[in-house]
Amino acid sequence: MIEELEQIKESALQKIKESDSTDFLEQIRVEFLGKKGKITEVLKKLGSLSPEERPKIGNIANEIKNIITNNIQQQYQVVLEKEFQKKIEQEQIDITLPGRTYGNGHMHVINQVMNEITSIFIQMGFQVASGPEVETEYYNFESLNTPEDHPARDVHDTFYIKPGVVLRTHTSPVQMRVMEKTKPPVAVIVPGRVYRVDNDASHSPMFNQMEGLLVDEDITFADLKGTLMYFVHNFFGKDTAVRFRPHYFPFTEPSAEMDISCTVCKGKGCRVCKQSGWLEILGCGMVHPKVFQYAGYDNEKYQGYAFGFGIDRMAMLKFAIPSINLLFENNIKFLEQF
Amino acid sequence: MKISLNWLKEYCNLPVSFKELAEQMTMLGIEIESIEEPGKEIENIFVGKILDIQQHPQADKLVVCKTDIGKGEPLQIICGAKNMKVGDKVPTAIDGATLPGGFKITRRKMRGIESFGMMCSGAELKVEEDSEGLLILHPDMPIGEDIKKVLGLDDIIFEIEITPNRGDWASYIGLARELSAYYNVPLTLPKIEFIEEEKTVSSVSSVTIECPDYCPRYSGRVIQNVRISSSPDWLARKLMSAGQRPINNIVDITNFVLLETGHPLHAFDLDKLNENRIVVRLAKDGEEIRTLDGELRTLNSNQMIIADAIKPQALAGIMGGADSEVDNGTVNVFLESAYFDPVSIRRTARHHNLLTEAAQHFQRGADLEMVVWALNRATALIQELAGGEVLKGVLDEYPKKIERKTVKLRYKRTEKRTGVDIDKNFQKSTMTKLGFTIKDENEEEVFFTVPSWRHDVSLEEDLIEEIARFYGYDKIPNTIPKIRQSGAVFDTTFKKTHRIRELLVHKGFTECYSWTFSNPDIMKQLKFSEDYLNMVFLQNPLSKNLSTLRTTIIPNLLTTAQKNHLEDTLSVFEIGPVFIPDVKNLLPNEPQKIGILISGIAHPRLWCYDRRQYDFFDLKGVIEDILNELQITYRVQRLEFPLFHSGQSMRITNQNDELGIVGKISPKIAHELEINENTYISELNLEKIFKIISKKKLYKTISEFPSTSRDLSILVKRTLPVSDIFISLKSIGEGILQKIELFDVYTGEQVPKDKKSVALGFTFCSEERTLTDSEIDAVMKQIIEKLQKQFDAQIR
Repeated sequence: MIEELEQIKESALQKIKESDSTDFLEQIRVEFLGKKGKITEVLKKLGSLSPEERPKIGNIANEIKNIITNNIQQQYQVVLEKEFQKKIEQEQIDITLPGRTYGNGHMHVINQVMNEITSIFIQMGFQVASGPEVETEYYNFESLNTPEDHPARDVHDTFYIKPGVVLRTHTSPVQMRVMEKTKPPVAVIVPGRVYRVDNDASHSPMFNQMEGLLVDEDITFADLKGTLMYFVHNFFGKDTAVRFRPHYFPFTEPSAEMDISCTVCKGKGCRVCKQSGWLEILGCGMVHPKVFQYAGYDNEKYQGYAFGFGIDRMAMLKFAIPSINLLFENNIKFLEQF
Repeated sequence: MKISLNWLKEYCNLPVSFKELAEQMTMLGIEIESIEEPGKEIENIFVGKILDIQQHPQADKLVVCKTDIGKGEPLQIICGAKNMKVGDKVPTAIDGATLPGGFKITRRKMRGIESFGMMCSGAELKVEEDSEGLLILHPDMPIGEDIKKVLGLDDIIFEIEITPNRGDWASYIGLARELSAYYNVPLTLPKIEFIEEEKTVSSVSSVTIECPDYCPRYSGRVIQNVRISSSPDWLARKLMSAGQRPINNIVDITNFVLLETGHPLHAFDLDKLNENRIVVRLAKDGEEIRTLDGELRTLNSNQMIIADAIKPQALAGIMGGADSEVDNGTVNVFLESAYFDPVSIRRTARHHNLLTEAAQHFQRGADLEMVVWALNRATALIQELAGGEVLKGVLDEYPKKIERKTVKLRYKRTEKRTGVDIDKNFQKSTMTKLGFTIKDENEEEVFFTVPSWRHDVSLEEDLIEEIARFYGYDKIPNTIPKIRQSGAVFDTTFKKTHRIRELLVHKGFTECYSWTFSNPDIMKQLKFSEDYLNMVFLQNPLSKNLSTLRTTIIPNLLTTAQKNHLEDTLSVFEIGPVFIPDVKNLLPNEPQKIGILISGIAHPRLWCYDRRQYDFFDLKGVIEDILNELQITYRVQRLEFPLFHSGQSMRITNQNDELGIVGKISPKIAHELEINENTYISELNLEKIFKIISKKKLYKTISEFPSTSRDLSILVKRTLPVSDIFISLKSIGEGILQKIELFDVYTGEQVPKDKKSVALGFTFCSEERTLTDSEIDAVMKQIIEKLQKQFDAQIR
């Protein structure tokens, strides 16, 4: 019987040694150690032995059982490791293939810029206001101190809808609409479409402006300069130079235009800035007393500033876009660049 | 406006370089558009006198000249021009000279004969646009003189832009006045000297003003026996530097005085005026005048004319009449200098679309106190250049005196408005340097009388601007204000709109931005209903194609699809207003809408994707995501919309209100527009959507207990909308049915023709306990019974 057990042991160990899969090892376990396994079969015959021999053979059988179990376990680790290796070898891919993607979407460059600019002003404490694009002449001109026969109307080539109604030529009418709704303090920015009868390489009949209005008791021209300087430094970068020149707008007094150092040549002079080193980007000034009069604000008690600039122009400068018309042509090859 | 620096310096001695001057003018508000240095590149070109001209022996078209340039031997120069003769003086470039554009002249052989230089045309020197032959110089020009000097090319030309408020700057004297004030140097006005005859002007002519509101002042002189000729060189050159063409001495003098003083003058041929007299009046309705440009213009009773005893002879302040024009036969001249009401000039000029130089000056407001000075200045020049006898006295009608304004300045106010404390004396001296006079003053404030040329100043703020300008905007500090709000809120949709924009961009969509114009004809072609054709029309559109404002974004999307028809795939959107006329209001409604378009293949063309085309449900899914993001409940219904495929279009509603539409473009229209047939479009009304009060997001307990799923596959009628099944199962499940998934819909060989197979997955879960099989079985039984009863469903 001992001999029989030894033979089982040898045969098991041989099989274990030769096994090369976890499945096969499981078969071996069942063949030798299972309920109907070879060792169990031998142990069943223990009853036919003498009481003296029984424990001795029993011990040997258990020992062999342990040896087989250990061997299976050891081999299992080895085989498992090999199986992992094999799996990895089989699952090699070309990691240089492009990934599965729908591609990113693209917000229109005007809205990217509009969003960036509004965020800067909102951080400072302004809120967004809006108004109609089809506007009355009263809000677009008259209440902004630009009566019918004012020469300043010449620069606004206006689209007319019907008597007294126009397509707004600037976002400034929203100033008056806002002031009519509340007493100071007022701090708003107004992004929006505006329209002028003009269509060539550098003009579009529809374009976008951003208006700003701040009215309180002590708002000064120095505050206007500081606010716009802060904006320019955040939007174009700290190394951008800024200058304010006297100018004229019917609805501000004193009025100014703001230039920034040319974004292309950094102020050295180039084709874009017509060799001047400066780019004109914004009109501004202290709100005109006549405008306050229309709004019902007391010019002695309140004062404030207003500014307006082209969002499209900001986008064109920031991204070096050569023509305003590109912005509204909806060519996918253009839109996907931003 | 072109300004010659040499000419400007005749009125004030500016102590700075032209570059510094340009910089300072800019900082005073005089915008410099460009700076030209006409003679910058010209070198070694002199006045030469032609001594001899001989035919070139080897070339028919060339001549050999001897030209004296005042230095050494006369130069032998080969020339191709024909307009010169012996004795003419011409610009002569010597060996080593440079022409504009950097073109070098060197000595060289031409057909065997050596040429030691070149004689130049006006075009070659860039003083004329094009030339026929050489530039023949005035015989008085000294031989050997630098051509830059004699042609005024040693000059700087500033192109300046003047804002509408500063008409006073639109003249040499006006600009010199501003700059002399800034640089604190004297303003030098020309001396006016002429001899008057004994005979008085009132003995030959008269002026009557019938409309003093339109013409507060009108003055004139008569000069007899003038000699009309061309202007002398200095005058012609000055006009040319301003971009004007010399005509004759009288006309040139009025133009010169306009440039110098900013005051438009007009010269009439006195003998062509009926009764030799002037009547300033409003035209009669229907009265006609032929203006100097040859146009016959019909007038109305709001338009001011200068008439003689009978008929209109000039459109006052805008353009003279052809009938009384000064020409070569003119002997006696009536010279006009007047002040016309700016508004009246502006209206008439606009009416006739005739915004002449004169009209531009008058509409910005001329200088009432300059009227007679300008008249006398021109008179003196006429006598000097055209001879003639000046009759004694000025006809000066001034029926409506205009008083100068007085404006108060509180010194403290300047600091309050600008944010910088500017010295009192600086404030006061700035104003007086600018010609304001002190009427009254005390410690805190000063009353200034406004000079007659400053129509733009009427308020304290206007004075503060003057002080700030002279102080320097750049010296005012930059401060960050404390920003306060009143509490009023002006916009509630900006952020929400932006959220939707970002959502779509994250989904891979590209945003478009179109003009908001539309064309009703194209709308009709696209089969839009009458509702959409109720549009806002422009009175002065750029073209028929841009003649209305859009009522929908869909045509813009279709245009985008057409423009990008070569792309395999397109997924774009646009957000913006549409314009709906409102009979009850002056202004239209402007609801914000979003339009979305997908077209072509659903995935990029990539190794890992199939070439599936987009379908209806790709777009419907996007719309569902938007509405779910906004927590908006909605229903869908079939839609009849001629632009869309009738089997693949729907309307989205909330409480029976249409929020938007989704559909496949009809094959016919896709064919007509030559766009991909698999194009799907949606338009949602964001204004309506934002008005719906969405469900508030609140935390829901996440169950600790496991969930269980059951699948069910049923056969139902093929035409049954699946949404009916969901609606019928809505209230079932006693709170433990958490979710129903529709994981398959099948029609085809495996099922009868009039049926479809619908596979549903049910998920059960309780927050309180682990569910038992029997509980779930009970609910499944209810579900099956309901489906059998309601839809005659067969379980598969």
